[in-house]
Amino acid sequence: MIIPLLNVTNLSKSYDNIVGCKNISMSLYPGEVLGIVGESGSGKTTLINCLSGNLEPDRGKIIFNINNKETDFLNISESEKRKFIRTDLAFVHQNPRDGLRLNVSAGGNIGEKLMSVGYRHYGNIRSLATKWINKVEIDKSRIDDLPITFSGGMLQRLQIAKNLITSPNVIFMDEPTGGLDVSVQARVLDLIRSLVNELNLTVIIVSHDLAVIRLLADKMIVMKNGTVIESGLSDQVLEDPQQEYTQLLVSSVLHV
Amino acid sequence: MRKTNNVIKIKDFKVDKGLPFDQEYNFAYLDENTKKMIRRAIIKALCIPGYQVPFASREMPMPYGWGTGGVQVTASCLTKRDTLKIIDQGADDTTNAVSIRNFFKKTSNIKTTEITEKATLIQTRHRIPETPLKKKQIFVYQVPIPEPLAFLEPKVSETIKMHSLSEYGAMHVKLYEDISKNGHIETAYAYPVKTNDRYIMDPSPIPKFDNPKMNNSPAIQLFGAGREQRIYAIPPYTKVKSLDFEDYPFDPFKAEHACDICGSKNTYLDEIIVDDAGNKSFICSDTDFCNKRKNK
Repeated sequence: MIIPLLNVTNLSKSYDNIVGCKNISMSLYPGEVLGIVGESGSGKTTLINCLSGNLEPDRGKIIFNINNKETDFLNISESEKRKFIRTDLAFVHQNPRDGLRLNVSAGGNIGEKLMSVGYRHYGNIRSLATKWINKVEIDKSRIDDLPITFSGGMLQRLQIAKNLITSPNVIFMDEPTGGLDVSVQARVLDLIRSLVNELNLTVIIVSHDLAVIRLLADKMIVMKNGTVIESGLSDQVLEDPQQEYTQLLVSSVLHV
Repeated sequence: MRKTNNVIKIKDFKVDKGLPFDQEYNFAYLDENTKKMIRRAIIKALCIPGYQVPFASREMPMPYGWGTGGVQVTASCLTKRDTLKIIDQGADDTTNAVSIRNFFKKTSNIKTTEITEKATLIQTRHRIPETPLKKKQIFVYQVPIPEPLAFLEPKVSETIKMHSLSEYGAMHVKLYEDISKNGHIETAYAYPVKTNDRYIMDPSPIPKFDNPKMNNSPAIQLFGAGREQRIYAIPPYTKVKSLDFEDYPFDPFKAEHACDICGSKNTYLDEIIVDDAGNKSFICSDTDFCNKRKNK
């Protein structure tokens, strides 16, 4: 039997009287890509922030099970939690400027992740950074350039490289293609898809774009007003939506 | 009619050439309660080597950046039996050193010296003397920016957390950037160190040439940052290690010359342009050491 990598039970978070997300339960298996969709304000970002340790939920349980080691994410000390986030999780922000240091070179940005988990050999850091710069299709001659000289798509690919270099166990992506124009979106999506296949990554991806979910996600959940209203295999949900809201969502996709 | 009383104060002119001792001040300028508060901070700092202790820094009669932190630490440690030495970039006769020395002469009437071995308390800006420090000496550094993580993380709440959880990986980013830009670690001063295998510390803008002198030193080393309101310390015989990479080890660089005055080959040198043609001369930055060697 395969044990889920992540088990969430009855997770709730509210901001004063406003509900962020309510009684969310879900599980995620190794190598799975889970899509979270919903309209603005439906609680997608609150959920992913709670799961990745950026927000403290009010109630509920988050259990990670990595290499047969169970981690009760909400009941460990802060130092353990930060160490866990550093080594086992990764977070790709919608705006790559939030996830990168703009005054540090591309190589330095990628290398920082390695140095934070203990790498102290410059040559090794350098060669790994070069390898990953290549992997995300950035010319390796740009390794010493500052991110401010990069285009939006390159920045996003750089952020992805920075997050994947330490082989994290769960990767969170919050609208990774949100701020990019359509042709660049396609390229970044293509890159994410090939990396997911090649490295067998476990990903939770938040998007309001159903095309992104269809392309990447094996399973998906649909959120509305802070609760999960529908979940299942993404093909199944997208082809045969049961809930009125999901039907509306699927039918509002523009077909060009 | 108002009485025109004698308003001239009687002053004590016994002190040497400098300013006369002004008895209107409390000993060493600061009031006793302030000194007590600062001493408490110093004791705490000594108990946790490299940890920055906040203290209620006072306004001093000199501008920030001129050693207000160092002066407060010195004033709090000074006793009437102390012999004080003040250096600025290794020299006893530069503006900062002269003015701080005069300040303490005027407010505390203690003995001063230029000879490192004779001093019981030394305040410094940007150098550690070439003559090794010894037991029972107190060595006070003037610190402009105490937070070594400041360039990486502007939020103080976050740097405090990074220190408390020893999250120091990002510290190497600066060194990485140096090597990728210049082929070697370019940072030449304020070179970060790890104190007692725990806290990363900014050793103040001393040249990295001086970093090894902090390691296992028999003297008490105190660091005062007035504007930033922080005091930290290295107790005697404490391990102080400069950060580096396995394949780019720490290198205490100095100019490859001998001193043009005393001929010393293993001291830290100042480079001085001596004429309009760009000719230069290298001399010891530690004036006391250089004079002694020259006179031998």
